[in-house]
Amino acid sequence: MQTTRRNLFKFLGGSAVGVMFTPAPWRLITDTALWSENWPGIPRPVRGEIKTRYTTCALCPAGCAVRARLVGEQPVALMGVPAHPLSLGALCPFGLTGHHLPYHPERLKQGPAHEAAGAVANAIAQCGPNERIAVLDLRPGRTASWTYRRAMAAVKNGVYLTAPRPLGGAAVNLAAARTVLSIGVPLLEGWGTPGNVLAARAGFRLIQAEPFESRTAALADLWLRINPGSGRSLALGLTAQLEGKAMPAQAAAETGLTESQIADLAADLAHNGPALVLAGEDVPEVAPLNRLTGAWGKALIARAEAPVPDSWKKAAPPAGLASVPDGSIRALLIDESVPGDYIPWNAIAPKLVPDNPVVVAFAWSRNGYGRHAQFTLPTAVYPEMTGDAPAATDSPAAAFRISTPLVPAPAGMVDPAAFIAGAAGMDASSALRERADAIHKTGRGTLFTCADAKSTPVKEVKPEDFWKALNEGGCWVDAAGKPSAPVEETGWQAKTPAPQEASDLPLLVALTDLPGATGLISPLMSKLYQESNLRLGPNRAALNPASAAACGVSEGAHAVLQTRLGERPIQVTVSASVPPGVVEVGASPEILDICGAFSRARVAQS
Amino acid sequence: MIAANGNNKAKRYGMTIDVDRCTGCGACMVACAVENNVPPAHEGATDRKGITWIRVFKVDNGEDYPDKRTVFLPVLCQQCGEDTPCVHVCPQQAVDVDPATGIVGQMPERCLGCRYCMAACPYHARYFNWWDPEWPAGMEKTLNPDVAPRMRGVVEKCNFCHGRWHAAKQRAAAAGKKEIQPGDYVPACVEACPAAAIRFGDLNDPAAEVARGAKDPASFRLLEKLHTEPKIYYSSRRDWVRRIGDAPRPPMGKENPRG
Repeated sequence: MQTTRRNLFKFLGGSAVGVMFTPAPWRLITDTALWSENWPGIPRPVRGEIKTRYTTCALCPAGCAVRARLVGEQPVALMGVPAHPLSLGALCPFGLTGHHLPYHPERLKQGPAHEAAGAVANAIAQCGPNERIAVLDLRPGRTASWTYRRAMAAVKNGVYLTAPRPLGGAAVNLAAARTVLSIGVPLLEGWGTPGNVLAARAGFRLIQAEPFESRTAALADLWLRINPGSGRSLALGLTAQLEGKAMPAQAAAETGLTESQIADLAADLAHNGPALVLAGEDVPEVAPLNRLTGAWGKALIARAEAPVPDSWKKAAPPAGLASVPDGSIRALLIDESVPGDYIPWNAIAPKLVPDNPVVVAFAWSRNGYGRHAQFTLPTAVYPEMTGDAPAATDSPAAAFRISTPLVPAPAGMVDPAAFIAGAAGMDASSALRERADAIHKTGRGTLFTCADAKSTPVKEVKPEDFWKALNEGGCWVDAAGKPSAPVEETGWQAKTPAPQEASDLPLLVALTDLPGATGLISPLMSKLYQESNLRLGPNRAALNPASAAACGVSEGAHAVLQTRLGERPIQVTVSASVPPGVVEVGASPEILDICGAFSRARVAQS
Repeated sequence: MIAANGNNKAKRYGMTIDVDRCTGCGACMVACAVENNVPPAHEGATDRKGITWIRVFKVDNGEDYPDKRTVFLPVLCQQCGEDTPCVHVCPQQAVDVDPATGIVGQMPERCLGCRYCMAACPYHARYFNWWDPEWPAGMEKTLNPDVAPRMRGVVEKCNFCHGRWHAAKQRAAAAGKKEIQPGDYVPACVEACPAAAIRFGDLNDPAAEVARGAKDPASFRLLEKLHTEPKIYYSSRRDWVRRIGDAPRPPMGKENPRG
């Protein structure tokens, strides 16, 4: 056969078509995909020996027990400890991603520690008779908190400041309640210890009184939609009804409920007791109300703190910010190394001396008080830090747990307790051990060890073994005493209500989903905040379509939230589930600095 | 995939999700992402372009207050039975149903990124990698060594934490057992749920809690009318919640212009 140019092209063309019907080209594509999957841009997980270690979560006051899965010495997953007596195996989304926090892109790597120490020493030396040196502790009750109190007792004019404690430090025993009336408390959204709350949930009827449909309201047995900021009026109305007095006129008018609804609610609480009433610190009437409903001494009880060494008891007492005169704080040291209740800067700033006050923030980033402080010192974050967790709000018995580091802290991190103790001329490096020894010395309670899920009476444990077990995720729980009612002076303080009327600020602010004072959350929480619509992200604002149209903004628009105290950039989400006239804002320190719950605001195009 | 044989009786892994217990906390979503090395959102990712192998939807009954009621509905790959839509449409045979476990598997190495499977899935439970996976500097050290990260341009979805299944098989083999004991293999979302709303097990095992739950009169499956035989059973005591199963997926927000 003669080979012509035409035949050659026909052969090549036929071959090209024919090869498409063989596996070869498709196999090549697969192999290319395999190759590209391993190119340098795709991280390769590190392999190594799989280990298990236990610790305590330090991201909120609940202090849940954590079982960490490690590859070599690197934690790759965190889970709960099912048999744990306090957390009952549960971890919240923030706790599940705690091992990502050391790698947060916004983390501070270094800070002027020596300069800050010098400035604080100067401030202490120059502190006038009417001036104060203050420590602001966002998470009171820890051993570090006792160090601050001791340091402030040792320093001239030292003051130890804390945020108001929920329920004034009284403990809640949900298992003893048959009915729970929650006035705006996020009971099923991270309040207390998640595992304990969810385990107790089947035992009580939940009534949620709240202006907006929060997750707790959605899951409550009954949701009462009350007007924003009317929690006190509801409590007053219920108290009057239970005392057999005439209902105050403003109770129905301000809450938006009818008098018969309030009367029915009071009867419900009276007949289905013990009925526990929970509210924020802005509703002081909740204390007498709980006495009337039978919760006092049963579902709401006094609880002692875990024992401390006798030598620590000469410590400065906790004080509220309101007890400090304006313009009197010469040096303010703020510990925000662990998330806690954020106090807006506009409440703190007037307390500082007008001439060159020293403000030091111990923080993981500049997102919180670091925006206002002269010195922001970087701290270790969970799970790098060593600290302890006192009993949570919903723990009837005192408890003591240690958050043991899972990874070492990088160089240059500052320990706030060591810094403040050093400024006061103290050494507090062995404070945790001293406290553990003081607890062991009492011989009270039991020690739970995670590895074998056993509880052992403390009397049967040697001091060294007690300390070792605590450092391996163990938990001391005090012996159950006879519950007694908390004292009347629980520290509840009414906040000054925000002005409600402002014609130029047409929207009412609803704060949602507080992830902690300083917003210390894993980048992976984008699954909840950005890649789904489950939660409203920090600095995002949701508006009803009608409100959005009135403000001239649309979905995804960049806008500004304006209040009497300032303005912040936000990104708009349009949602029909938000009531008209309301702007739902994902809380963050920047937002909390310019508005509180139920304050008035305006959304404008940026 | 491993075929069923005489020594290893075929299982049919499935889930029951008690919608009345779900608090919408999202622990399942982040536990899943941690376990399966799903990266944090790219800057341009939205609820349409993000990757959430399990996603919790907030669904209400359409009424206004005081009749409004809301539930949280976790939606993941429904692990359809024999008539699995995504298997039929895949030109690359990158999707198959493991006869030994009933798990619908996705093989990213074979995936061409045509997204036919995403169009075919009536549950919208498949996700496309619009970007290469990226973690903040240092965070790649926290990746699970049992699961390979996926590249840009491939589809991925829930596989009942297949890495955990392999690990459980290895543990069972090391212990001289032929079969995984109930409880030895549990997906991350089940383990993480603080409300114990999600249960997992072998639907073929009459003693398993999921098998009993699947037969509960209060249980329902999503879009049963399509006869895809999902292995995810939801349950609720409320009629209006059970009717959700017949409704299409809740509409998502308008596309973010940044995406």
